[in-house]
Amino acid sequence: MAREGPAQSWLAVTALVVLAIAVAAVVPSLTSARPANEVPVGDVGANASDPAAESWTTVPSVEMALSSAPSGLPEAGNVSADHARVRAATNDSHVFVRVSWDDATADRNTSGPRAFADAVAVQFPENESARPPIAMGGTDNRVNVWYWTGDERTEELLAGGAGTTTDFERTTVSTEAVHEEGEWHVTFTREAAAAGNRTALSGEQDIDLSIAVWNGSYDERAGRKAVSEWHYLAMGPGPQGPPYETILWTVAGLAILLTTVVTIEGVRRTRGEPT
Amino acid sequence: MSTDDAQEEDTHIDIADGVDHQVAMVMDLNKCIGCQTCTVACKTLWTEGGGREHMYWNNVETKPGEGYPEGWEDSGGGWQSDDHSERQPGEIPGQEEYGGDWEFNHEEIFYDGSDEPLAPQSDPEWGPNWDEDQGAGEYPNSYYFYLPRICNHCTHPSCVEACPRKALYKREEDGIVLVDQERCRGYRYCVEGCPYKKVYYNAVSKKSEKCIFCFPRLEGEGPDDTVHATACAEECPPQLRLVGYLDDEDGPIYKLVEEYEVALPLHPEFETVPNVYYIPPYAPPQHSEDGETLESVDRIPNDYLEELFGDRVNDALDTIERHRDRVRRGGESELMEMLQDKNPAQQYRLEVFDDE
Ligand code: SF4
Ligand code: SF4
Repeated sequence: MAREGPAQSWLAVTALVVLAIAVAAVVPSLTSARPANEVPVGDVGANASDPAAESWTTVPSVEMALSSAPSGLPEAGNVSADHARVRAATNDSHVFVRVSWDDATADRNTSGPRAFADAVAVQFPENESARPPIAMGGTDNRVNVWYWTGDERTEELLAGGAGTTTDFERTTVSTEAVHEEGEWHVTFTREAAAAGNRTALSGEQDIDLSIAVWNGSYDERAGRKAVSEWHYLAMGPGPQGPPYETILWTVAGLAILLTTVVTIEGVRRTRGEPT
Repeated sequence: MSTDDAQEEDTHIDIADGVDHQVAMVMDLNKCIGCQTCTVACKTLWTEGGGREHMYWNNVETKPGEGYPEGWEDSGGGWQSDDHSERQPGEIPGQEEYGGDWEFNHEEIFYDGSDEPLAPQSDPEWGPNWDEDQGAGEYPNSYYFYLPRICNHCTHPSCVEACPRKALYKREEDGIVLVDQERCRGYRYCVEGCPYKKVYYNAVSKKSEKCIFCFPRLEGEGPDDTVHATACAEECPPQLRLVGYLDDEDGPIYKLVEEYEVALPLHPEFETVPNVYYIPPYAPPQHSEDGETLESVDRIPNDYLEELFGDRVNDALDTIERHRDRVRRGGESELMEMLQDKNPAQQYRLEVFDDE
């Protein structure tokens, strides 16, 4: 029916435009973007406890904004680091977290009454069932803290709120650090499987984490520190981040719906049916 | 007792909430000869090594002077007011303000026959007691006195409040302020928070430490199983320290502090309410060029004593003067008897609350 030709081509054009918009919205997100707070976990298949290990180059880095923790301590709002870069990786047995941040001076000693060492900490919920309060957890929602200081100390801590930090009797976390060109790189290593009030890192679910950085020569210590918000290690199975996924499917769904409506409407019009 | 100067009416004792009794010490500055026996007694007992080399839980400094650590009086800390709600910011003294643990050439001189003078093998610029006997004033009216200092085991200890981990605490039984070595993580907020700079950082253990008021001695935990006063007090040749409890109303400390008000805390404006008290020094008057006594001119300027002990120092000195006069004229004075330690049994009253 030649009479219907122009209407049909209008329809086809509309459908194509709508589809193109939907595809443009969805496809790039699927390929490159991550949810804002996700830290992807690379499978390096090797030992990555050396922060300079070659395998780290294959793992994407996530930049975390840092700001002062509201501790009430003198000068608490006065901290020097404003961002850090975090990478995470696993192999068959271990989990590695590598934190890098800018600090012009490597403050490694605490040998004088005024000397404070640089430090970095990574915090995880002891138990991933609920996200603990960001400031060192809460009484019934504790956190594991992996803590490294510039004077070569590594501690594994358990805390249930500010000022409650206690050492694990035996630390299962090890660290390696390098200071290069005004930047610290510190790797924390722990066996994925661990018992006794320790965060399960076995890869069955995403794990929240946040970090803190101290600049020793700035007198930063205790609650005077630069901290991130909660992020999460994308360890769980499948696509990450439920809200993000929902948004994608909503966009795609709307596009399909719109295309269908336009198509039906077009067909009805060309047939001359009353609307 | 002679009650004219003793404040009998409702002597309110300000001891900290939740503390049963409060240990206290009175030191009579008029008797201190600056021999440092107390300093050495304390050092050999508690701070001989292991990162404690720069620590003098008890030090004796010459006043006027910079003291130890150098310039501690201007290092901040304490409270902004007597409501104890806002703390005053403070600073951590540097190693140079404490002074180092200098190496001496003992070995060379004693064993290797060297005839060099005994001297530090470095070039120190400050240390405990560095400005000893310098004082102030011009001949023939120069003056100085010695000020022995320990932690004041304050009623409102700003060191305790400064710690984000509550590692410092005031012992319930006697108000002694201690650093829990298990809880301390070496953050040193207590060091900057104490206006007297009587908490010290141990860089070896990476924790803070302070005077413990010899609590094991007070508890009779020593080798002889006997209760002792603090080592600084017992070893003092002129026995100028009284040790006991502020709330022991029959003891001399209570009477000197609360009734006669002649024993005063050092720098009350820091608002920590110390429990170490001092009988202020009463110096002879000034002399003229030709050696005449100028009765009306104090040798130690009054405003300097006020700077150290607050305005109440004037009344305290007046009270003491009145009682001296009375005794000179053949009268009796309980206050003078206490200041002269006529009754040694009263000097260390440490077991008065043992039956509770
Ligand atoms: S003197 Fe200083 S260290 Fe001692 S209790 Fe008072 S504030 Fe604390
Ligand atoms: S031992 Fe007594 S006299 Fe000697 S310095 Fe100490 S307080 Fe003064």
